[in-house]
Amino acid sequence: MSRNVPLTKIIFTLCTAVWALVLHQPLSLLALCFFELMVLALSGQMKKQFRAVFILSGFAAFLGAVQYAGGGTLDSAYTAGLRMMDMTLMFLFLLGTTRLQDLTASMVKQLKIPYEYAFMFTASLRFVPDFLEENRAVAEAQACRGLVIKGNIFKKISRYLAVVQPLMLRSLARSESMALSLELRGFGGKHRTFMESVAPGKSDYLVMIFCAAVTAGVIALRFFYQA
Amino acid sequence: MNLSLHDVSFRYKDKGPDILEHVTVSFQQGELVALTGRNGSGKTTITRIITGLEKPKSGSVEWDGKDITMWDAAERSRFIGYVFQQPDRQMFMPTVREEVAFGPRQQGKNEAEIQAIVTEALKATDLADRETEYPRSLSRGDKQRVAIASAIAMSSKYLILDEPTSGQDGREKKNLIELLHSLCQKGMTVILVTHDMDIAAGDCSRIIVVADHKIAFDGTAEALFSQDRKPESWGLTYPVSVVLGRTLPGNPYCGDIETFMECYEKVRRNQ
Repeated sequence: MSRNVPLTKIIFTLCTAVWALVLHQPLSLLALCFFELMVLALSGQMKKQFRAVFILSGFAAFLGAVQYAGGGTLDSAYTAGLRMMDMTLMFLFLLGTTRLQDLTASMVKQLKIPYEYAFMFTASLRFVPDFLEENRAVAEAQACRGLVIKGNIFKKISRYLAVVQPLMLRSLARSESMALSLELRGFGGKHRTFMESVAPGKSDYLVMIFCAAVTAGVIALRFFYQA
Repeated sequence: MNLSLHDVSFRYKDKGPDILEHVTVSFQQGELVALTGRNGSGKTTITRIITGLEKPKSGSVEWDGKDITMWDAAERSRFIGYVFQQPDRQMFMPTVREEVAFGPRQQGKNEAEIQAIVTEALKATDLADRETEYPRSLSRGDKQRVAIASAIAMSSKYLILDEPTSGQDGREKKNLIELLHSLCQKGMTVILVTHDMDIAAGDCSRIIVVADHKIAFDGTAEALFSQDRKPESWGLTYPVSVVLGRTLPGNPYCGDIETFMECYEKVRRNQ
């Protein structure tokens, strides 16, 4: 599936989110979660995205705990946590297996999203690793000036401001130079073309049919068997 | 007070290639040292190990007879200052004065002490008249001076500068080198990570060349540039003054253009 065009993966990702919203029994949601983990594993993304999956699991557990603490039943807590996992796991697959320029091309050519918005979306994703790298560099620079981020949570937050502030200022400066660079290269022109070919093939149509069938099946399961 | 690396080996990933192999080097008080070599040779890694941003896989780092290998960067900041290639990475305060005061505040000094130290550091770096300015709006050269003032304010005994002259005009470069010389005269050890061979030959008391994951050369500029073709094999270029000096009768070594001019004048007078 990792070789499918972005449109297919977008449809697949959105479908899994719909399945997660329609299903409301912890067991069905757990099954969906296993299915998604299998997709990640088979596409070779499990190892690369392990940290993200781990963080998502933590967040799901937190969401479940909040639900339970807020007066929900144990079942509703499991459902909240698992639903969150099910709705987000496939985004890791989508972003991990799709080149950002292909994603932009697909959003503009097939989903008819204006190029500026599609570019903004993919550019912000592209900047995440750069932002993390910059965060590391600023933290190192401040450590060389004696900054130690230790103590209780409040102390840690107030000390971390010495990293966050230069990071924000540098990011702003960077976005300015990026805007300039884009303008200088004719960003926003009316006759933009794409090098990438994102037209769906046979296997894409098969996956789309599979998605449609499973969506119908999931809706039926929900209404006839309360899955 | 000596700062030294003993038999240090380093790699970024456990199964990755060696970046440094059995490096042993020490720095004496008041030296102006150029650390040079090809891109990716390991120069910056050496400085990162010195500052504590990286820990060696084997070997040790010693300072003043103490093993400081496991000390982190914040602990070492009491005596080692690092000026990054992009000094604005560390700047966020609204004025130069407050920016320089950040380090001593982290050290827990009292306000009166901080103000005295900062005034002294600004004076030493010729920034006293710019203390109320916004650090990020200064020129690159002045930002570097702010970063150096920050290191001085932390009572650093060692100052490491990563590519300090890149992107600077001639006047900024000259001012920076004058400042570094004055710091060395006061007993500070300055280590420059640089590709600028004119500065290495004309201003540094010692040059260390890193090549093939090891210290390939450690000595004076004259000894380095007298070696035939060796510097080129390490990715270094000969300074213009050295090349010009070789064309004069007797092939004198000219570390800078002033020395070359003196030799040239002598030759002219003798003719």
